Amino acid sequence: MTDTPQWARLTDQEVVFLARSGRETAYRELIRRYERPVFALLFRMVRDRELAEDLSQETFIKALNAIESYRPEFKFSSWIFKIANNAAIDHLRRRELDTLSLDGSPHAETPEAMQATALQIGARQESPLDTVEAKELGSEIEAAIGRLRPEYRSCILLRHVEGRAYEEIAEILDLPLGTVKTYIHRARNELRHALAHLKE
Amino acid sequence: MTPGFGLHLSADELDAWLDATLAPDRARHLDLCTECRERAEAERELVQQLVSLQLLSPAAEFADRVMQHVSLPAPYAVRSIQPARRRLFATRRSVAVAAALAVLLVGSMAGSVVWTLGHQATLASIGGWVLAQIGQAGWIAVQGVASNLIEQPWYEAARSLFDSPGRVAGAALLSALAYLAGVFALRRLLALPTQQVAHASA
Repeated sequence: MTDTPQWARLTDQEVVFLARSGRETAYRELIRRYERPVFALLFRMVRDRELAEDLSQETFIKALNAIESYRPEFKFSSWIFKIANNAAIDHLRRRELDTLSLDGSPHAETPEAMQATALQIGARQESPLDTVEAKELGSEIEAAIGRLRPEYRSCILLRHVEGRAYEEIAEILDLPLGTVKTYIHRARNELRHALAHLKE
Repeated sequence: MTPGFGLHLSADELDAWLDATLAPDRARHLDLCTECRERAEAERELVQQLVSLQLLSPAAEFADRVMQHVSLPAPYAVRSIQPARRRLFATRRSVAVAAALAVLLVGSMAGSVVWTLGHQATLASIGGWVLAQIGQAGWIAVQGVASNLIEQPWYEAARSLFDSPGRVAGAALLSALAYLAGVFALRRLLALPTQQVAHASA
């Protein structure tokens, strides 16, 4: 092995092997390979650039600090996407709890605060998409993706934006293969209906 | 079911059509069934829109920010020594055992050197006797091998190869070629795979 491996010729598993031997350049190569797809997935999941940056950073820090526990018989891409997707789903669940609870936010300590947070349901219904929405996701199709259920969103993004196989998506999301297919078909149906007015 | 057309395409078959892996007999259904064709075209248009979505990248120096929070493992050689070192200095007793072993090792090495320096004549006579025995055993072995060779039925034919310089040269050339072929085959067998494994790539 030379001091400067030709990274493009190495598989993910080989780069991970070099990272485990303590080579910082190997860590940076893994980041270079996956920073865009991971960030794109997270940005489209949470629809907030700054938050997506934070979650991407959290994903990579978690994955790279636990590189010893990565099992090479699985794809590295599946592993990092699984961590990223879990981060996004956790965040969306927390946000859902904070904004959608009929009893108000679980963090609210006074009845007034609970009432104030509970009122956010109305605000959300008036504006289905978050009011603070990055310009980059401003197209009709991006907006339609943003309205999908998070599970459908993960599936459709991994399948048609990241080009992952159904089997890999099932592995990433810990879902049966049939469920993944169903989610993707439903997501495509919803998107088609959401974009139908553009054809008229 | 549509009479004459066969069953409408299922969702899985539409996926296969989008991936260009639909069986030809089912793909022909699309030429005959307007409903399925329209559905398939709409799916393809949507998928194309999804595929051509804007590429998104995190802000510059993302890798630097991540690396600030990543702790690199120590190189393997250091890591493999660390647990042994930790065990060695874990308790007073283990330190005492390690120290005793070190003293024993150094003491025996020093004793060996001192004895050698004081008994050089004895060592020389033992060395001479051992060398003579090895030489004698070697000579007996050579004689045995030679006599066995001479008794072989192919010995005369092999010996005739060395009757003329031309034959000697030919035999040497053949041997060299066989040797080179062997080396080449061995290198091919021992070469590390360089091609990427398709299923393991990103």
